[in-house]
Amino acid sequence: MRIEKCYFCSGPIYPGHGMMFIRNDCKVFRFCKSKCHKNFKKKPNPRKVRWTKAFRKAAGKELTVDNSFEFVTRRNEPIKYQRELWNKTIDAMKRVEEIKQKRQAEFIMNRLKKIKSYIKFRISKKSSKTSMLSEPLLQAKGSIWNRKWYSRCKRMWIWKTNQ
Amino acid sequence: MAHYNFKKITVVPSAKDFIDLKLSKTQRKTPAVIHQHYQIHHIGHFYMRKVKFTQQNYHDRLSQILTDFPKLDDIHPFYWTMLLKITRATPSTARQKQSLAYLEQVCQHLSHLPTTDPNTRTPLLCGYPNVGKSSFINKVTRADVDVRSYYLRWQAVDAPGILDHPLEYRNTIVMQAITALAHLRAAVPYVMDLSEQCGHGLREQLELFQNIRPLFINKPLIVVANKCDVKRIAELSEDDQKIFTDLQAEGFPVIKTSTLTEEGVIKVKTKACDRLLAHQVETKMKGNKVNEALNRLHLAVPTRRDDKERPPLIPEGVVTRRKRMEMEEPKKKRERDLELEMEDDYILDLQKYWDLMNSSEKHDKIPEIWEGHNIADYIDPAVMKKLEELEKGEELRTAAREYDSDSEEKKKLKILESKEKNTQGPLNFLENESCSLGVDMDNKGDAHYSVQEKKGEDSAPHSSVAWSRSCPQTPRDVSGLWDVKMVKKAKIMMKNAQKKMNRLGKKGEADRHVFDMKPKHLLSGKRKAGKKDRR
Repeated sequence: MRIEKCYFCSGPIYPGHGMMFIRNDCKVFRFCKSKCHKNFKKKPNPRKVRWTKAFRKAAGKELTVDNSFEFVTRRNEPIKYQRELWNKTIDAMKRVEEIKQKRQAEFIMNRLKKIKSYIKFRISKKSSKTSMLSEPLLQAKGSIWNRKWYSRCKRMWIWKTNQ
Repeated sequence: MAHYNFKKITVVPSAKDFIDLKLSKTQRKTPAVIHQHYQIHHIGHFYMRKVKFTQQNYHDRLSQILTDFPKLDDIHPFYWTMLLKITRATPSTARQKQSLAYLEQVCQHLSHLPTTDPNTRTPLLCGYPNVGKSSFINKVTRADVDVRSYYLRWQAVDAPGILDHPLEYRNTIVMQAITALAHLRAAVPYVMDLSEQCGHGLREQLELFQNIRPLFINKPLIVVANKCDVKRIAELSEDDQKIFTDLQAEGFPVIKTSTLTEEGVIKVKTKACDRLLAHQVETKMKGNKVNEALNRLHLAVPTRRDDKERPPLIPEGVVTRRKRMEMEEPKKKRERDLELEMEDDYILDLQKYWDLMNSSEKHDKIPEIWEGHNIADYIDPAVMKKLEELEKGEELRTAAREYDSDSEEKKKLKILESKEKNTQGPLNFLENESCSLGVDMDNKGDAHYSVQEKKGEDSAPHSSVAWSRSCPQTPRDVSGLWDVKMVKKAKIMMKNAQKKMNRLGKKGEADRHVFDMKPKHLLSGKRKAGKKDRR
């Protein structure tokens, strides 16, 4: 029994879930749900679809290179069962998971801090021009600011402050 | 010597059929049309052709039959005795018919005989019916057939029960068996039933044995005491035991077998084969040809260069195997045997066959998945080393993080610190300080300041009306009711009112959503009497 990875979104596929598609060149594609499967059939590259893990990693939004990732490799030669080794491995696994998650969180946090500081800078810059503007008014001044950028920054700010 | 295949003899048609066949063939193969106005010699030629053709065909067919049919002189005496028996067996009327028909019958009989090669070495089982010969064969053929690799082939012939009637009345099959006995080169295990379950007593069996003995003169004979699981020789009476000892004294080895427990079965087989081989070698040695062969043979032996003994290398496995074959050790217990033993409790446990470093771990339940990760991907004999490195790296990082001043945790720590410091408000502090300095603090009412209560502290609920409405003191399900009985009734009424809603799966009383405005089963198809709202 293995937990596979979905080809499209890189999520875990538990046993009894999802679909498997085998192409004529013998390449196997596994999907965790029909959303991924249908998207695959529509032919876009998962690296360009924003919600997939592949995109996030390719776009540098998540930690890609780290020591803690090297613990997981698919081994071709199975090792005979030894209780001691298995126990040690499981303990190691738990510790590695902890560290991995910490590092991943750190990475994202760092990224957002940069954005936050940038937002601060931009808003302070704007506020030097138009002081004490209320929010709806800010939004109305669509011509001055790029609305999409603004809403993104706002979203992130809110998320950040809620943490 | 050829291995005869009687099934390949061409079919012999009856006389009438034969003629019909040939005539139709001529009609097909020769030109059929002729005209009156042809020249005379042409017509004559035409008819002569037909006659010649028919003649040729007859000749061909008959000669083929003759060549296919085995010549009595050529075939093994085994077969021609069989033939004689067959001829005797076919009813006399058949012989009076056309000779072709008779031939045909003979051929059919021959084809029905089992293909036996009279020249290979055979153990030939014989004995009374129900003695256990067939079961013996079953055991032997299913068991190790490749026991002796230095035999090219051997085949077992099962002789159906030989009844002890006077010679003339014995039927065809029995006659076949007897002829076989006389002519095959065979070792003869004579199977006897110790427990007398076959219906014939020991005495009778012995009599039969003595009767048939003259046929066995040139053949090695073994007495097989079968069904020894039911009755052992030691359990027999004294006289009977004596018989067996007599037999042994005469030179016939007695072997106890049981086809049920498979005791002694292999022993019999090996013994029979051995004795037969020895017998054959003997006869060959007696003949003249052997001497010629021996003269031409020369065994070359290498000259010794020193006194060192160099015995042939027999691998351990072979030695143990040979020992096992001789001793006939008890069979290894198979899973099937275990299953039969345990019946209902039996569980197929394949983990017990695993070959692990520590055999005590064989029955462990091995975990495969943990929190979305495959454990098998992490297993590595060098796991701990890697982990150590990782931890080192992590330590360095945490050290680096502490110097990072912008962290949230720092802020929280600061807040906590500040809280700890000022448990008293500044005004309280003022009062205390003044008290300690000796200022008279009795008349607080005239003070120009007022100590406010901390916002964070728990305060009693406000007594204003507006406040009370939003959080009533009596809970709703008992407000307005003054009796326990009433409360119960109210509860029941509430539940009753909800029953219908719940059954229909509604979210509440306000859920009037209809999922299917036009249900197909009500609107499609022909409408019979009065059925519009239910079908």
